[in-house]
Amino acid sequence: MKLSSFLKTAIVVCVVGATSAPAWPASVPIDLEARVAALESELQALKAQLAQLRAGAAGTTPVTAATATTADVAAAEQVAPLSWSGYGELNYSRPADVPAAARFDLARFVLGAGYRFDERTRLQTEVEIEHAVSSAGDPGEVAIEQAYIERELGGDVRARLGLFLIPSGLLNENHEPTRYYGVFRNAVETAVIPSTWREGGIGLQGNTRSGLRWDMGITTGFDLSKWDANATNGIDSPLGSIHQELALARAADLSGYLAANYTGINGLRVGASVFSGGAAQGQAGLRGNRVTLWEAHARWRPGVWDIAAVYARGSISNTAAVNLALLGNSTPGSELTLVPESFYGGYLEAAWRARIGRPWPLTPFLRYERFNTGASYAGLTPGPAPPALRDRSAVTGGLQLEFAPGVVLKADYVEFSDGRVGDRFDLGIGYEF
Amino acid sequence: MALIAPAPMVVAADYLSLAAAQHAIFPEAQKFEAVTLQLNAAQRQALTALAGRQPPRGRLAVWRVSGPTGEVGFFFTDEVVGRQDFIDYALGMNADGTLRAPEIMSYRESHGGEIRNAAWRRQFARRADGARLRSVVDIRNISGATLSCEHVTAGVRYLAALWQVALRPAGVPRL
Repeated sequence: MKLSSFLKTAIVVCVVGATSAPAWPASVPIDLEARVAALESELQALKAQLAQLRAGAAGTTPVTAATATTADVAAAEQVAPLSWSGYGELNYSRPADVPAAARFDLARFVLGAGYRFDERTRLQTEVEIEHAVSSAGDPGEVAIEQAYIERELGGDVRARLGLFLIPSGLLNENHEPTRYYGVFRNAVETAVIPSTWREGGIGLQGNTRSGLRWDMGITTGFDLSKWDANATNGIDSPLGSIHQELALARAADLSGYLAANYTGINGLRVGASVFSGGAAQGQAGLRGNRVTLWEAHARWRPGVWDIAAVYARGSISNTAAVNLALLGNSTPGSELTLVPESFYGGYLEAAWRARIGRPWPLTPFLRYERFNTGASYAGLTPGPAPPALRDRSAVTGGLQLEFAPGVVLKADYVEFSDGRVGDRFDLGIGYEF
Repeated sequence: MALIAPAPMVVAADYLSLAAAQHAIFPEAQKFEAVTLQLNAAQRQALTALAGRQPPRGRLAVWRVSGPTGEVGFFFTDEVVGRQDFIDYALGMNADGTLRAPEIMSYRESHGGEIRNAAWRRQFARRADGARLRSVVDIRNISGATLSCEHVTAGVRYLAALWQVALRPAGVPRL
């Protein structure tokens, strides 16, 4: 008989012995509390013996019989199957050229819930409300940012099924305001990498003890039929304007991604990813349009310094026919936003974590970004290719004060290369729990 | 009063069993003897003050470790919350109170699994200031696994403080 079976039998015998017909004459007083306490004590001792015997059986070392094994050094807290998380940000932004356009905004309010079904299976969700009020007459929106089931497969490999974040860049998977510098997310990881970028599908993730994390998966992708030539969304963020976010997402074309991150040297994170897939989605006038986005990133934290760099480049294939159709359907003289063939951006950021009181709560930072959301356009036949947009650059300098764990106060000034257009002063507060 | 017993680990993504963790941290050990700790009020107060801010904690167990030449140190298993779920880890402490690198026994969350990195864990090895360890300052975090790093560091600080308060042998100086 296996030891565990023996113990179970022994425990059952004890319990049955304690609860079945009394073994003592009814006139004899029975101290039930004392018996329960004794049984509990026996059970604890048996558990401890079992633990030690298992350790010994696994070939660790010879084990002597356990002594009494209770310890009261800490109050154990049970993590319930249901757990909560969240983050949010409240921002004030004052444009330098148009002070009247200053805005104060509850930009994000996000609640996350996780539920553990069993030791290997969990659900992760995040619901986001942007701009405080979501209704037909208000600018806000409600969105599901994450909703996936994750299953441990063993060997430090796990599978995800559902709506999850694409492992691209430094920010997309770490988009909580306490984890990036600046009141607003940087331009590159907004305009080029459309954070918070999520897709629906299946993914695999693994970690090795040497510090390598790898990700791969098959997901939904972009829908080029959503391109609005009469709006500027495509200039602000080409992929952000055609993402689907699993809202009745077209899935005639699927996409795939690969990502690798190495953190095996203390303070260093270096990684890269590629995402590619069809974007025609079987829609009229679209054929063979492939969206590809690749990026490389690094973060290095030597001592009090925090230095980060990201470069990302995207392309959309077979855009000439799409743009010709857009031009053909337009009214003469109107300005159209055409679909770019390529777009890119990169930034370099340095922060200095000042030691004031608690470890490094005050952090000045400086970031230089250069990006172009219309770096090239496919040639139109007949006729020349539309001119590429000019590169934009931005310098952001600011301060962050983490005045409580998980709560950060931010201030920054952003200066763009093209005159005062877009320059702004920002104040914000963010939190994460 | 909560009672915690060294018990068989029930874990999700098993990286290391209890036996494997014991062997990994104390390969020279010949005997692991479960330890009973009953702290008095003064010890509890000292432990709280020394350990500082702590994440939610699960089960904690302690073993006295002996080798061919006598007592080698202590072996701990502990559970601290990462972001939402427990991280199970094991820690070794030499007889003089210096640390051995912890081993991650189980990690249950989607993000932050990089905490298993050997390079990150090696930062703890041979440190004598376990009860004063600060995240970021003394133990560098892994980008993308910040909370996991901070909470395991805090957990190690708690175990080192526990050694100072209740396990430090007579004659061994405070660290």
